[in-house]
Amino acid sequence: MAKKTKSSMEDKMARQYLILVLPGFLIFTVGLIIPLLLSLRYSLTDWDGMATEKIFVGLKNYVKLFQDKEFLDSWWFTIKFTVGNTLIQNIAALLFAVALDSGIKAKKIYRTVFFVPCLISAVIVGFIWLKMFSNVLPAMNDWLGTNFNFLLFGDAKTVLGGLLIANNWQWIGYWMLIYLAGLQSVPSELYEAAKVDGAGAIKRFFNVTIPMLAPAITICVVGITTGSLKVYDLLVSSTKGGPGRASTSVIYKTYTTAINGRQYGYGSAMTVTLVIALLAVALIQVKGLKSKEVQA
Amino acid sequence: MKKKIVSSLLAAVMVSSMLAGCGQSNDAGSAPADAAGEAPAQEQSNETEAEAETEAPAAEEAGEEVTLTVLAGQSTTDAGIEDMIDEALAEKYPNITLEWECVDWGNDFQPKMQQYLQSGLPDIMIGKAQDVATYAPQGVLAEIDSTYLDRGLDAARENVTIDGKTYGMVYNALYQGVYYNKDMFAENGWEVPKTMDDLQAIIDDCNAKGIKPFASHMVDTWSIGNVTMQFMMNDVFNNTPDWGDQFREGKVSFADSEEMKTAYEYNKLIFDNTYPDTFSTEQTDCDAKMVMGEAAMKVSGSWSIQNFLDIDESFNFGIFPFPNQTGDSKLIFEPNITIMTSAQTEHQDAVNQVLDVLTSDKELAVEIYDYTKTASMLKDVSPTFENPSQADIDQYAADGNIVDVTLGNNQLVWGGFQEENAKDIAAWLQGQESFEDALAASDGRVDASSAN
Amino acid sequence: MAIGKKKKGEAESAVPYTKGLLALQMMMTLAALLFAAPILIIINYSFKSKKELYLNSPLALPESISFDNYVKAFDKLNMKATFVNTLFYTATSVLILAMLCGTTAWAIARCKKKFFKFAFVYFIVGILIPYQALFLPIYTIGYKMKLTNTRYGIIFMYVATGISFGVFLMNSFMNTVPLELEEAARIDGCSVFRTYFSIVLPLLKPAMATLVIMQSFQIWNDYLLASLYVSKKQLKTLTVAIQSLFSAQSSDYTTAMAAIVVSVLPIAVLFISLQKYFIKGMTVGAVKG
Repeated sequence: MAKKTKSSMEDKMARQYLILVLPGFLIFTVGLIIPLLLSLRYSLTDWDGMATEKIFVGLKNYVKLFQDKEFLDSWWFTIKFTVGNTLIQNIAALLFAVALDSGIKAKKIYRTVFFVPCLISAVIVGFIWLKMFSNVLPAMNDWLGTNFNFLLFGDAKTVLGGLLIANNWQWIGYWMLIYLAGLQSVPSELYEAAKVDGAGAIKRFFNVTIPMLAPAITICVVGITTGSLKVYDLLVSSTKGGPGRASTSVIYKTYTTAINGRQYGYGSAMTVTLVIALLAVALIQVKGLKSKEVQA
Repeated sequence: MKKKIVSSLLAAVMVSSMLAGCGQSNDAGSAPADAAGEAPAQEQSNETEAEAETEAPAAEEAGEEVTLTVLAGQSTTDAGIEDMIDEALAEKYPNITLEWECVDWGNDFQPKMQQYLQSGLPDIMIGKAQDVATYAPQGVLAEIDSTYLDRGLDAARENVTIDGKTYGMVYNALYQGVYYNKDMFAENGWEVPKTMDDLQAIIDDCNAKGIKPFASHMVDTWSIGNVTMQFMMNDVFNNTPDWGDQFREGKVSFADSEEMKTAYEYNKLIFDNTYPDTFSTEQTDCDAKMVMGEAAMKVSGSWSIQNFLDIDESFNFGIFPFPNQTGDSKLIFEPNITIMTSAQTEHQDAVNQVLDVLTSDKELAVEIYDYTKTASMLKDVSPTFENPSQADIDQYAADGNIVDVTLGNNQLVWGGFQEENAKDIAAWLQGQESFEDALAASDGRVDASSAN
Repeated sequence: MAIGKKKKGEAESAVPYTKGLLALQMMMTLAALLFAAPILIIINYSFKSKKELYLNSPLALPESISFDNYVKAFDKLNMKATFVNTLFYTATSVLILAMLCGTTAWAIARCKKKFFKFAFVYFIVGILIPYQALFLPIYTIGYKMKLTNTRYGIIFMYVATGISFGVFLMNSFMNTVPLELEEAARIDGCSVFRTYFSIVLPLLKPAMATLVIMQSFQIWNDYLLASLYVSKKQLKTLTVAIQSLFSAQSSDYTTAMAAIVVSVLPIAVLFISLQKYFIKGMTVGAVKG
């Protein structure tokens, strides 16, 4: 008897919980998941994005993808961009956070200065750095009488470096705040204990700080990687994927193929491939990082 | 303390197991995808509106309030003309309101059109002449009434006409060719070059005197694509107007065509004789250098005039067509603002009234030409702005030495073909790709070379 | 929120200001200058005339302080309308997101039924979907539901694309809400809804603040969805309007620079004035997450 009331009570609550979840669930499904499924469907056709008929071609688009040098090149660029970002942004953000967690003065000012760039739209950030590299920094050369090559967006060999600078300028402050938040919650007793054990500053950093920051590291690594794999806005107003195709990311390639090139079906296959890759990367990273956390 | 770690670990493990789960659920989700995906718009665009077109535009004269939707693909020089049109329209047909949607032609016009092909076109679309060839075969554009077409110059009509029906009203034109610093040419005793040898002589003299022969801005891939089309017009299409069709039939190719190779190679000539930082130079900076006398010539189009005059209103420049191998190259003009109308509009009369205002209001036309620094495509209307290159244009026009680039843009489309080829040319100039590879890449893109 | 209390404050003043710290301070100052330089240069540009831009060094100060570019930017961007639009879309979407993400994440965290577990995964997948690449289908869905070129349409899309991250974030905060309180409320006979609004919601305030700030600046700066869903002149947003100022041919840079300053300013002010909440919220998120 008592059991029965309990379970009916639970059902009632579950129904109420359901009412709380459903609106979001529906909006999300209509706004994002159905388009994704539509994309999957288009990827099996030769649709040009305009005509009313879409001829089913099976997996032909996917087979073509793996022979398409331009598409594979765009993956190669995206991977380099992602690895570069993940390394630089994590290390720099962590170092800045450690510095801001020390006894230096005027922390608020530093924090604000580092953070403000991420409030600017990536489209605008690209534009700003285009101006920086092609006008402002060369003028700095004239002024200082130096001869650095600042024309990073102008050469296929340096364009990646230029984009990394722009992207890191924008995002370091953001991840820094997350690390800072993590650092400030590390209890000082832990450091005291390590000190008593005779651990030096560097040893304390690796033995106490890093393990305690594990959750923050996971957030940052996954966030930076998946964000970088999706890079598009930054390119629109800076390099437009050039010079040549040297900075064409997967999404940029997808967009130009599907829209400008009128190959919507083929472009959709690129999208689907990217979604699968993103899921795989996030999965591997989370698993890998979590196993580290467990050891710690 | 410990609790914190444990809970965070738990949360993290949860995320990871969830993510693991989602990989599978995604795969599973792919099967029902076809069923779940909605059938896309099947709205067939029948040209049922044919009768409406022939109705007299007076029918709605006193008529009720009408709102027309307008999609305008503009370049920055055009932004603002919508207000001028609104004003003129309000005077003559106050019952018509235009609901403008202004987008950048280069980046956003085609995506917008693709959207609207799904949902139904706006009543009026403003694009470039080459858009007619892209969208008319989809059966979505209406024929333009000859009343209005007759008010425009005949020159632009040919390339917006398909199977005897004209789907676009060309409003203005840009000229393209080599802009040159007239004063500098006079000082150095250079004549306008007719042949490649003449041009080479000027280049050599420039280099000897420490002047950059060409101003250029290759950071913009579109500009490489644009000048390449200029070269192709005079070296390829002037002799073989159906080169693109032959290309698709497999009769000619980029790799085997000497003319095409020559056209591509001119890019190298420019590249070798321009600023070393051209791949970091943008249009405005490039134009500024030209005005300040750092370079003698620039292969460009009328869109540079606004910049030239912004920087120095007394800058004295002229224009000539880039010489070709046969010494008979023509000055290129590009019909720019081209008004197209939807075949399915419910307000054909109101649309015609808008066309009426655009083609008959000369004051409005002059205002727009002066503002955009472009040439008129209407009969008996000419802009009044000071254009130092006008004398040259008039001369070429009088001699019948002008040619409409829409021909080339219809034979080999911009989006997905010329645009992509330009990227290969950039890679070749930068030494990332061999010349042969660049040509082969263009050949490999043959399927994308036509809009249909 | 409780965590921060016993923290740093007093400990800081106790640490002596050593030579090492001075060196660190100098290094950070240098880094901050490098970070600030591009922003200072934009502000500098925004006061220059078109001619100065070409004829003088980019590093030179403007010849005179003139607000011409700002006046022009206001005019060209149709600033009054675009600003109000952007503000309206951002505020409304963020409010809805805060409400929905809170309830959704809480229900998911509390109800152990299978569906809720599935729902969590389902939402999380959304973080990884590059909606930039789903351009046409997003539009197709939108026009079929008559959402395109409407205010509620763009808000709907911001909610749809923002909800997965929001649920993820709120979910990681849920263990800051003590179960005992909820159970007490339930024993008192509160319904699920009342429990949420009277017990849970107040405890989620810092989390909400984080969510609001993080989503605000993403929506404020969004380019793609806005250009897809609201392209009518009266409905445009700031970022879309600015982008049209630097389109391919003949960019009007000085005006664009002024427009950038104007568009970043409100969101920067919001951040600077609310950064206390932001950091508090992040503390909870990053540590408990």
